[in-house]
Amino acid sequence: MEQTSVFELRQVNRNEAGREILTNASLTIGAGEFVALLGPSGAGKTTILRLFNALDSPDSGEIRFRGERLDQVPVRDLRQKVGMVFQTPAILEGSVRENLLVFQRWQKDFTISDEEIHQILIQVGLENTRPDQAARSLSGGEKQRLALARTLMNEPEVLLLDEPTSNLDPVMAHQILRQIKTLQEEMGFTVIMVSHNHELAARYADRFVILLQGQIAADGPLSVLKTAHSPAVQTFLNGGGE
Amino acid sequence: MESQFYVVTWWDVLVALVFIALTYGIMRYWKIGLEKTLLVGTVRTFLQLTLMGYLLSYIFNQESWYFMVGLLTLMILVASFEGYRRQKLPIPHYFLILVGSLGITVLIVLGTILKFILAVEPWYYPFVMIPIAGMIIGNGLNSMTLTANRFIGELKHREGEVETLLSLGAPVRAAVHGSLVSAIRAALIPNINNLMTVGLVQLPGMMSGQILAGIDPLIAVRYQIIIMYMWITTAVLTDVISLTFIYRQFFTSRDQLRLKILRQAEG
Ligand SMILES: Nc1ncnc2c1ncn2[C@@H]1O[C@H](COP(=O)(O)OP(=O)(O)O)[C@@H](O)[C@H]1O
Ligand SMILES: [Mg+2]
Repeated sequence: MEQTSVFELRQVNRNEAGREILTNASLTIGAGEFVALLGPSGAGKTTILRLFNALDSPDSGEIRFRGERLDQVPVRDLRQKVGMVFQTPAILEGSVRENLLVFQRWQKDFTISDEEIHQILIQVGLENTRPDQAARSLSGGEKQRLALARTLMNEPEVLLLDEPTSNLDPVMAHQILRQIKTLQEEMGFTVIMVSHNHELAARYADRFVILLQGQIAADGPLSVLKTAHSPAVQTFLNGGGE
Repeated sequence: MESQFYVVTWWDVLVALVFIALTYGIMRYWKIGLEKTLLVGTVRTFLQLTLMGYLLSYIFNQESWYFMVGLLTLMILVASFEGYRRQKLPIPHYFLILVGSLGITVLIVLGTILKFILAVEPWYYPFVMIPIAGMIIGNGLNSMTLTANRFIGELKHREGEVETLLSLGAPVRAAVHGSLVSAIRAALIPNINNLMTVGLVQLPGMMSGQILAGIDPLIAVRYQIIIMYMWITTAVLTDVISLTFIYRQFFTSRDQLRLKILRQAEG
């Protein structure tokens, strides 16, 4: 990897209710990568994203963000730089505009015009959505896009996406992933995307990390994973891991 | 008509037992089967209130301010413990939070009444201070336990919303704003409704008591108005102060929602 590292996991463990849900995870992610985090349901994919966004802390091991220990980075700065879109995003009561400014309106002197809002909505393919529309009346796919736009408002350096296409049909799924890819090229952020559909992810990501039962079982380009890995990884990639 | 104060004697109380006799007779005739409980309750009412009477006579005979302040402290501690025990909420430091919120509220509300509204001399005059402190503490405690419970419910219900806001880099205070507002509104609405309907349906107990004791109804009414205003302030102060400390207990120093504690709460 020629780029500087954005995230580094060193021997990270996390327990929940007396059970190890992440075991000895070590991983380095470079700036500008598009990483797909694959694995069956319950493998620990969301767990890793929550660690990156500092919504949880590891029980042991170390996480570094741009070389600095994660627990030394001021947490709110970190979260603005490392934006996360949840699998089922919470859309708040109120308008689309209010949802986009949900946190900025706590900052004094923050103003934004309807035109700027419109530009942001276009970026995520919501060109037909009005800023004053009730956000909760949007469709599932539109809500997902709104949540993406809300995270992009912070102009993050890293974008964490938790199954961004799980509520969408295949056509829409490709559409939104294409948009994310385009945004990445424009804005230059790093993408870490959780997915359980590696065929979909294969079209956009350039690196694949496979998690099985809380352990990183494989890491590399998909072509390599398909040929040179353990039976468990092969089983997952051939669709038997679900 | 001149107002007159009718002294109740122990003999009068004895005669009032006809009510119990009548109830007992009806229960027997209808085979309701609560006769024994009724008798126990009758005796307990007599004993508990008589004891309270002697206690109050003793208290009202004291003349030092530090006795009254000590008594106030004791009242706050006992009430807080009762509230803490009654509702096993999974809030770290809950007892201390109750004590602190009640203490600050009593200081502000009781202080205002004694110093500026009634301008009582001396300020620790027990006939005013103790009953009013009792009302503030009782009402404040009720309001706080209701609000705390409601807040936890809101937090559980809005877990996704709270974590979404945190994940965007919002301060904890912003992430829980919706839950705080809902909880406080829910606690205040009954109090505000009280302001709307008081005197329309029934007379407040305290006012009826004063009138029975021979006090001019207009004076009793003025007292009641002050009490009503005091109640709403008490509710809002105790709620806001306690929630300020409570909400933070559900987050770590790294602004993470403490899901484990939250999930301990039932419901
Ligand atoms: N708060 C929690 N309490 C108990 N178990 C949890 C909690 N969060 C996650 N887990 C467990 O950890 C494992 C990994 O979860 P997760 O990272 O969400 O998996 P996924 O790969 O599907 O995103 C699962 O078995 C899940 O049940
Ligand atoms: Mg998941």
